[in-house]
Amino acid sequence: MRGNHRNTRNALFVVAAVSAAVAAGFVGYGWKPEILDAPSPTGAFTQELVARGEVLAGAGYCGVCHTSDPAKPYAGGRGLVTQFGTIFPTNITPDPATGMGSWSRSAFARAMREGVSRDGSHLFPAFPYDHFALLSDEDIDALYAYFMTRTPVRQVNQDNTLPFPLSIRFLQTGWKLLFFRPPEPENAILQTAEARGRYLVDGIAHCGACHTPRNALGAEIAWRAMDGADIDGWTAPALNGNTPSPTGWSTSDFYNYLRTGSSRLHGTAAGPMSPVVHQGLAKLPDDDIQAISQYLVTFGGGSSALQEAAEQRSLEQDAAQSASPLATLGERLYVTACATCHFNAGEEVADARPALGLNSALSLEKPDNLLHAVLEGVSAEDGKPGVAMPAFRTMTDRDLAEIAKYLRSTRTDLPPWTDLEERVARIRSAGAAHD
Amino acid sequence: MTNVQNPISFSVNGKPVSTREAADTPLLWFIRDNVGLTGTKFGCGIGMCGACTVHVGGRALRSCVTPISAVDGGEVTTIEGLSSNASHPVQKAWSEMQVPQCGYCQSGQIMQAVTLLSDFPEPTDEIIDAVMAGNLCRCMTYPRIRAAVKRAAAIAKEAQTHG
Amino acid sequence: MARIGDVRHSAGNLTRRSFLIAASGAVAAFGFANYASGSMALPSGDEIVPEKTFEPTIWYSIDGNGVVEVNIIRAEMGQHVGTSLARIIADELEVSWDQVRITHVDSAAKWGLMVTGGSWSVSQTWPIFSKAGAAGRQALIERGAELLGVPEAECRAREGKVVSGDRSIDYGTIVKSGIVRTYTSDQLAAMPTKPVEERRLIGRPVRALDIPPKIDGSARYGIDARIEGMVYARPVLPPTRYGSKVVTVDDSDARGVKGYIRSIVLDDSTDTVPGWVMAIGETYVAAMRAADQLRVTWNAGPTNEVSEKDLQDHGAALIAEGKVGSILDTGNTNTEAVFGRAEHIIERTYTNATALHFQLEPTNALAFEKDGIFEIHTGNQWQSLILPTLAKALSRPEETVVLKTYMLGGGFGRRLNGDYAVPAALTAKALNAPVKMILTREDDCRFDSVRSPAVQTLRMALDPNKKVVAMEHHAAAGWPTEVLAPFFMPKGANGIPFDPFSINGADHWYEVGAQKVRAISNDLARATFRPGWLRSVGPGWTNWALESFMDEAAHDVGADPVEFRIGLLKGTGRNAGSAPNSVGGALRQANVLRTVAERAGWGNPLPDGHGLGVATSFGQEREMPTWVACVAHVSVDRATGNVKVERLTSVIDAGTIVDPGGALAQAEGATLWGASLALFEGTRFENGQVADRNLDTYTPLRIADTPPLDISFVDSREAPTGLGEPPTTVVGPAIANAIFAASGARLRHIPITAEAVKEAIQP
Ligand code: FES
Ligand code: FES
Repeated sequence: MRGNHRNTRNALFVVAAVSAAVAAGFVGYGWKPEILDAPSPTGAFTQELVARGEVLAGAGYCGVCHTSDPAKPYAGGRGLVTQFGTIFPTNITPDPATGMGSWSRSAFARAMREGVSRDGSHLFPAFPYDHFALLSDEDIDALYAYFMTRTPVRQVNQDNTLPFPLSIRFLQTGWKLLFFRPPEPENAILQTAEARGRYLVDGIAHCGACHTPRNALGAEIAWRAMDGADIDGWTAPALNGNTPSPTGWSTSDFYNYLRTGSSRLHGTAAGPMSPVVHQGLAKLPDDDIQAISQYLVTFGGGSSALQEAAEQRSLEQDAAQSASPLATLGERLYVTACATCHFNAGEEVADARPALGLNSALSLEKPDNLLHAVLEGVSAEDGKPGVAMPAFRTMTDRDLAEIAKYLRSTRTDLPPWTDLEERVARIRSAGAAHD
Repeated sequence: MTNVQNPISFSVNGKPVSTREAADTPLLWFIRDNVGLTGTKFGCGIGMCGACTVHVGGRALRSCVTPISAVDGGEVTTIEGLSSNASHPVQKAWSEMQVPQCGYCQSGQIMQAVTLLSDFPEPTDEIIDAVMAGNLCRCMTYPRIRAAVKRAAAIAKEAQTHG
Repeated sequence: MARIGDVRHSAGNLTRRSFLIAASGAVAAFGFANYASGSMALPSGDEIVPEKTFEPTIWYSIDGNGVVEVNIIRAEMGQHVGTSLARIIADELEVSWDQVRITHVDSAAKWGLMVTGGSWSVSQTWPIFSKAGAAGRQALIERGAELLGVPEAECRAREGKVVSGDRSIDYGTIVKSGIVRTYTSDQLAAMPTKPVEERRLIGRPVRALDIPPKIDGSARYGIDARIEGMVYARPVLPPTRYGSKVVTVDDSDARGVKGYIRSIVLDDSTDTVPGWVMAIGETYVAAMRAADQLRVTWNAGPTNEVSEKDLQDHGAALIAEGKVGSILDTGNTNTEAVFGRAEHIIERTYTNATALHFQLEPTNALAFEKDGIFEIHTGNQWQSLILPTLAKALSRPEETVVLKTYMLGGGFGRRLNGDYAVPAALTAKALNAPVKMILTREDDCRFDSVRSPAVQTLRMALDPNKKVVAMEHHAAAGWPTEVLAPFFMPKGANGIPFDPFSINGADHWYEVGAQKVRAISNDLARATFRPGWLRSVGPGWTNWALESFMDEAAHDVGADPVEFRIGLLKGTGRNAGSAPNSVGGALRQANVLRTVAERAGWGNPLPDGHGLGVATSFGQEREMPTWVACVAHVSVDRATGNVKVERLTSVIDAGTIVDPGGALAQAEGATLWGASLALFEGTRFENGQVADRNLDTYTPLRIADTPPLDISFVDSREAPTGLGEPPTTVVGPAIANAIFAASGARLRHIPITAEAVKEAIQP
């Protein structure tokens, strides 16, 4: 009761605040000038600076969002479906008419740090300027240098499909007023790996953009940093003390996972996490991945003490599986369709046999991550490179629901998932629409 | 999601292939009909018999439920590419134990057993049962499969100590 | 009694074939090329056939290198049949095994009846091949002696040579020198074969010739056949097996499938595949997907609401109707009188569910016309049966239709029925192009020639001394032979024809006094589906009922189940057996029973919840008995009803074992099939079709379910009998009887489920 009450009050407050923002206009606060200075000549950028920009552009997954056709990198992305509507990432190649060719360094820096376009219009927070604000001047320079030296592509930006009044960019002012607390650019020299990790995680890598839950108006909830959130029909699991992973995350788990796309105990990076590893972080040096890992572990999701016990438990669960006539449909299906690759025995979980008993997909509130993986598979480019998992779309909704039910009940102590069959059907048809 | 405009490329038994077939074409039929290698078999089409097992990146995979887009950039090995002259320890053991009857499931059994042994070099009956449970043999050559997997483990070990 | 053996004899009398011994043209041995080619040769390879060959009979030839090429008319479906059969010739001919090649030939009139089933292959071929081999040896010795210039009596044949003292001449050289010799059929019949002691290959371990290509992926099955320019097809199946008529076909969605070509409504004058619509594609994926997108409406046939229960109820009603059915000639069928005055009567009813073949290679065929001949490339078990149907469907003479031979990815009786060749042929004719048709697994299951569900009622009359004085066995099922090969149906004692393959096994070797065996065709089953012969055929379920019943009877009279049976296996009268195949009769059955009891520790104490159960059988046919007995050791979890088979012990007397390794493999497979059909697999009809169509719900035994096996053969010099099926027949009843011993639960339906056991356990 109390919880409900508080939620209602919060919502009322938000609505009131937004109305107030609209009514008052916030002209003074919200109005931003167009920046007309000339862009820097490309000859001014050193090779080194461009190279550094390339690494950062990777770590910021710029290409993941801003590219739809691999033949036209950065010329504008495929729509991002948000709870509010579809937003189309823009052309950020140096084409003067349709891209950023006419942007000066300061226009670029303002966009990165304040979420304001060169012409003074406000950007939607799907663009994580709230994270990029942390970037040092040098890193902004490097990114600018990198983008201004790309091949220009003439491609007109697609219109977003946000409904009125959300489509009024000026209203972003209100949003910013309420939620945008830009960090100061981090220009100091960072002394420890952990500090470097924080800079990368909170800044360019913007991990919280997916892993931190957002409020009703789409802003990250600061006090629930890395508490897990839904993204693209998947769940980005909590990385803090609420981690669903039965085995917790050690620094080396994070390192292996982020460096190679898989870790022995946690399985592989699938779905939206796959490009983060393989297209995003891939260019960062090992030291940086180490630094990220050391910082992530401070969120409290690490519990290496539990690892051995969890691993043993998982091995025992596997040993108990059976295809006997007694077995439930789900168990028999699992044993004959899945265990062949996932079964583990002996002292420890084998490297290329993801132990489902340790996989967070089974411990999440929703079965969606598991169902996505089962229905869509994991390609050789994703997860553990070169290795693939089939897409079991040919199985019926009921069969897949039974497998999920069996795993949830035997590998976790959590309450059963509900409406499994409907969920399978939903994810299946969403996947089909994608193709 | 693979873009249809770009060809899908991977290798089969070390030879590069590149195709513009639909991204969701099952790898099984691509191998059989486009590449022309027929040792990989069609049994159930739903990933539950193992007749279509190939290796991708050295791991056993049911090719009937794997779209070709999923192996883009990967290395596919079929029974024909497992060894020359059936010289893989698993194939030798299969021959010694005279495992196949109709033989239809056996390419898949062999490919699966190879992965089994790479993960579990000294497999027990329980391990063999658990890992091979996905490979149906309608002729029920199971007792011989169990024996042959163990024999293959021994052959591989011998080769290691002598090699 | 007119039995299947007689029919077989006249239909395919191989021994009557005159043996020509003469030099003949080269026999082409086709290596398997990449595209559809000729016969299937093993080992494969491009061998150059020397010009001169010696072809003593149509069954084999010897070339100038001394290589013996044996022609095999049986289908290779895992039984290593070519290896077994070729060894018979090689042994008599005195050649070493590495000189032997086999060729699986195409359908052609000269080969006579081409059928592989009933576990007949070795048994039927044995007399022909051993005499053919002996004749060749004789001819080579004659000619060799001539060439060596020594008297024939001083020569003997060994290892591909004719030897006289320290001189010898090899077969290749003899063949190159030219050799002509003719034997009359009488001479052949009188041709002496080697004494048992001199056998060098028969009964010795061997590596099967068909195994190497099954280990490196080069073996070619029907599904692998291909020819330049072929298109692919997959059927869209009607709602009922018979009587469905296509009303409309809408392919507007299918046209969105890349590679889709068109659809064809088949016009089949033979009514083999009524109501089938074919989706044609440039690739199989296109055909497969287009078939899913084709919107076809039918007027369904009359059986579109039939359920499993309807079929079983109908069978039970037919049994209750005393007059229907065929009564087998058992010597004394007048049981009524005995039952009328019996002191004690036991009566039980047993049922079994519909079962699928689920041979792992889904049915398929490649068809095209070339040079005036219609070629069908596919794996098939009974070429002679489907050829006339194909000819009729294509409206062309039978001589212009040929079935090309491929390996079978499992037969188990499914491919005795060649129905799947018809739609491929019709489609190829309609398109005037080569067509490769492949059924998906779901298609294959839907219109499988299933093993019919059956109902059987058994009765036994006992006198005051608990002596069995009469027995009745009434069995109702869909009859495959009635539908597919009615000419194979002998008449019963009451003049009504019966399907031997749907009652064999009920005419057992126990001495029970008056004996009535009544076979009833379930006409609703016949109308609903195309009943099929499934591994071990009739005895697969008749023996399930018989041996469960014998166990119940033994317990009823308070006798030990082994002793009770042995007491009835006296081997007198019609159960004494006769030459060539059943010498020794019921006493051999008593022997395997005694042996298996000993091996399995019958009577030894077992832990709580464990039990042993026994069953025995004579296999498939009284004319060709294979004596089998099995003891199953099971444990039963009383709380859940779960049954675990701890061990299966079987003892088999199949006469001479030609190929011990192959024999054991067949017995292992057959035994596990028995376990699978008893505990793991079965389906049901729902709305006129089988409910289970793939492995998610149809669940044959897998490796993890496989119990340890102890299988042994009786050392015998009697004529070899069949092995591929008989060991199946004993396992189901042995398991059910063991469940009873372990838990007191009596199960009368297979497959046995955990719930059924739980329910049957007395609280
Ligand atoms: S055909 Fe792929 S698993 Fe059966
Ligand atoms: S050997 Fe026939 S299916 Fe395995």
